[in-house]
Amino acid sequence: MGALLSPAAGGRGVTQAPILEVRHLTRLFGAGGSLAGRGLAALGLAPPPRPVRALDDVSFAVARGEVMGVVGESGCGKSTLGKIVAGLMRPSSGEVRHAGRPVPAGVPRGLDRQMIFQDPFSSLNPRKRVTDLIGEAPRVHRIVAPREVPAYVAGLMERCGIDPEYGDRFAHQFSGGQRQRIGIARALAVKPELLVCDEAVSALDVSIQAQIVNLFMDLREELGLTYLFISHDLGVVRHVADRVLVMYLGRVVESGQVEEVFDRPNHPYTRALVAAVPRLDRRRVAYAPIRGDIPSPMNPPPGCHFHPRCPLATARCRAEMPVLRTVAPGRRAACHLND
Amino acid sequence: MAPVLDIRGLRTAFATAAGDLHALDGIDLVVNRGEIVALVGESGSGKSVTGFSITGLLPAAARVTAGEVRLNGIDLRALSPAAMRSLRGRKVAMIFQDPMMTLNPVLRIDTQMTDALRAHLPLGRAEARARCAAALAEVGIDEPEARLKMYPHQLSGGMRQRVAIAIALLHSPDLVIADEPTTALDVTIQGQILAVVQRLCREKGTALVWITHDLAVVAGIADRIAVMYAGRIVEQGPVDAVLDAPRHPYTRGLIDSVPASHPKGQRLPQIPGRMPTLTELPEGCAFAPRCTRRSAACAARPDPAEAAPGRWVRCFHPLPGAGG
Repeated sequence: MGALLSPAAGGRGVTQAPILEVRHLTRLFGAGGSLAGRGLAALGLAPPPRPVRALDDVSFAVARGEVMGVVGESGCGKSTLGKIVAGLMRPSSGEVRHAGRPVPAGVPRGLDRQMIFQDPFSSLNPRKRVTDLIGEAPRVHRIVAPREVPAYVAGLMERCGIDPEYGDRFAHQFSGGQRQRIGIARALAVKPELLVCDEAVSALDVSIQAQIVNLFMDLREELGLTYLFISHDLGVVRHVADRVLVMYLGRVVESGQVEEVFDRPNHPYTRALVAAVPRLDRRRVAYAPIRGDIPSPMNPPPGCHFHPRCPLATARCRAEMPVLRTVAPGRRAACHLND
Repeated sequence: MAPVLDIRGLRTAFATAAGDLHALDGIDLVVNRGEIVALVGESGSGKSVTGFSITGLLPAAARVTAGEVRLNGIDLRALSPAAMRSLRGRKVAMIFQDPMMTLNPVLRIDTQMTDALRAHLPLGRAEARARCAAALAEVGIDEPEARLKMYPHQLSGGMRQRVAIAIALLHSPDLVIADEPTTALDVTIQGQILAVVQRLCREKGTALVWITHDLAVVAGIADRIAVMYAGRIVEQGPVDAVLDAPRHPYTRGLIDSVPASHPKGQRLPQIPGRMPTLTELPEGCAFAPRCTRRSAACAARPDPAEAAPGRWVRCFHPLPGAGG
């Protein structure tokens, strides 16, 4: 499976167009502000709006059938990235390309990219029965003939490990793991090519998490799905992903093959992150964590965003933003120490 | 010397329309001075109810129906509410997953901390304040004087959890019960909290019960592990013994479900089904319906058996131990 090789970083010089390509994606929040606020700011009566740069110049490509992991802590922009890729949010600038073609931002959005959410408790309409939750989209979009919808839904339920007998139930009548299976069946109902999983197994108990991780891997093999797998759990990402993007405060700080990145991290942040992850085989650890909080994205530090917490920071890191560039074949990092 | 915490046969029930449902069914747990014991289990296993049963903070519908809870030899069940209140915060303290369970959102940190301190100690304001600042410094908060003047919302999640820990440790309690205190935190912040808790327990000899669903966290911090399933401790013992050679099939399944212990891309061994809810508990072993080793014997209730010194397993068909 490791042979599913990735296009070159940046996506140039690839014969088959990557199924997903993201170019210079940036997303600002609060740039406009309210009309009154802008008016007051124009008159000098209020401070000008300070936009939050949730996503800052993110570029990468994912090959068909590949699993791209995205890891990072709160405020790193991983969920914003997922929403933009899934077509649920417009970028402020930059573009998303699907199989070589630019995807127009906004509605109606394509069905070929679907999202699985973290919280199966809030992502399913509580007033709809399971057959409708799963069957509505394929019926409306005429993916199957109206007469065939019930059988189609039953097949999806079976495939995702939900007893089709339960089709008349409501979401609240299922356990968390079962609800996540319903969410997956719903996403698959419109025959997507790419699934964006945003912390899709994070809220589940570990024995249930294993069931869902296995389901994702089986579906990938059977249906040739491509995943953007967003998670804060490095263990899960290592298990399912081929490559990984490590994000910090809206920017990609490192990317590459998942084992390479986790076993031989280049960026000091990746190193700190990998070291902080508790592991079953590490007993009676003397924790020596990196100091400091994750800075607020409203007010990111100048230069390299990580410099206030970085044990190796120099004067240059405080002044100049490092550029994400290739440091080894298939490996990118944004750190001045590589110069 | 008596252990700090000694629980025998603890049963806790929730009163429902369908009658009493036992969320805890015969918990035995001993924690010694300076020891860190992890209580591990999935949602609904009863691990948090165990914590609340010890501290006397159970919701109104729940009550302890049987068993003993002794803190330094004192039977907590025999205490009046007033006596229990005077122990709580002073001898036994609790840290929650959400620090806002501890903190009042509309009071400044200094108000809350000095209140907590002066509830049990006859201190003047200035002295109380100085002690609070020292307590914040001890959990690794920079500029404690400035932080004391802040409201909880002005602090980050990790910082709030540090404040909650500082409050829990204000009176140097003999026992701290930490209920998933790092679950909501980012991993680099979790590392900071683990370091603080670990250091303070070692330095002060505080006994710690660390409640969590995350086996990897306890591998790094705990001395002993107790694994809970559907209201019972199914296995307990020293951390290395339990994690390296689990005896209960559920513990084995839980360890195998962790992705990091498998070659990449391989199917994870999964435990079929899910934990029964309180209304659907089977008569005998609650894990039997999901267990590959079950037999007719499992229809009866298994009792804890000492498989090796300090090693208890509640199973009719335990896995073979590694060299005893």
